[in-house]
Amino acid sequence: MDTIVEFDQDLMEKLTTIAGEGINNAAIGFSGMVGRKIEVSSPRLELIPLLAIPKIVGGLEDDAVGVYLRFEGDMHGQIMMIIPHHKALELTDMLMSVENGTTQHLGSLERSALGELGNLCTSFFLNSIAKTVGASFRPSPPAVMVDMVGAILDIVVATAGGVNEHVLLVHANFMDGPRCVETDFWIIPDMKALDILLNKKPAE
Amino acid sequence: MNNPISLGLGEMAVTRNPDDVLAAYGLGSCLGICMIDPVTKVTGLLHAVLPETLNISDSENPSNASKFVDRGIESLLAAMTKEGANRNRIIVRIVGGANMLTAPGLTSTFDIGTRNIEKARKTFQRLNIKIAAEEVGGHTGRTVRVYVADSRVTVRVIGEKEHEI
Repeated sequence: MDTIVEFDQDLMEKLTTIAGEGINNAAIGFSGMVGRKIEVSSPRLELIPLLAIPKIVGGLEDDAVGVYLRFEGDMHGQIMMIIPHHKALELTDMLMSVENGTTQHLGSLERSALGELGNLCTSFFLNSIAKTVGASFRPSPPAVMVDMVGAILDIVVATAGGVNEHVLLVHANFMDGPRCVETDFWIIPDMKALDILLNKKPAE
Repeated sequence: MNNPISLGLGEMAVTRNPDDVLAAYGLGSCLGICMIDPVTKVTGLLHAVLPETLNISDSENPSNASKFVDRGIESLLAAMTKEGANRNRIIVRIVGGANMLTAPGLTSTFDIGTRNIEKARKTFQRLNIKIAAEEVGGHTGRTVRVYVADSRVTVRVIGEKEHEI
């Protein structure tokens, strides 16, 4: 039988701290990839009822880029990183170290670069969480998709299981000088994962 | 004048107002199920999320019916009949059911889209109602719109204009 976890204020505060550390670590990975210091804003964490996702996101027909991966081990779950399409083009410019506005189309090379970035950010994010809670897990290779926001979010919905589930949304802004990329991380932990986050003591 | 009515996850709507345009935006693995009675103009759209209930608490809650393909179809049909539609005239079109994950190792695990399509076909077969048109499967998201005034059903995929099915 699944463990029932109450999303009370204490858990949300705990998760916000863990997510904050995870996002900071993701920024370190991002910086390493582009060879420059990438700053990150303090992340905002929200608990979203599964079926309310479209209402919160809006613009379901808008183009976006999604990077999805699963993690397994002591904890199971999925992470979807979603970036608006025009921001993904800017991000590609950042990754390729070319002027803003150079990338007009996301071909296989650009998708591969974004996949690598998503992989890196989410892996650094997960590593930080693993260290904080003293658990270990392995991420799957990333899947990159360019499609409508609603269609990308359907993966989050479909993989979450029951329609009464909740998912965690972490908003973060990655900044490279004047350039800013708003990124949403949708996290779908299983109940066992949340139980570990609640009960494990931080690693020394 | 068009009056767009956007259906969220697990929602359905029935109308006969000729100004209304029912829409489900950015369907990925979800299925948009359109039912139209061309005589009375009673028109319905269901935005189903999953093929069937996965746990007891979901199945016990009647408000969850439209979230699932099987129970959602039955609910939509009942709501349309109540509005004056004749089930023998109902024209069905289904849109969506894509498999959005194409990475190795992930594809087969979560192919909810294919399961949604199969469940819809089986449910309509059981109800003895033919599906007139499908634009389903593949790996791209779709927006479906149903125009009550002239019973048109259109689909749009990313980077393209909407087309009629």
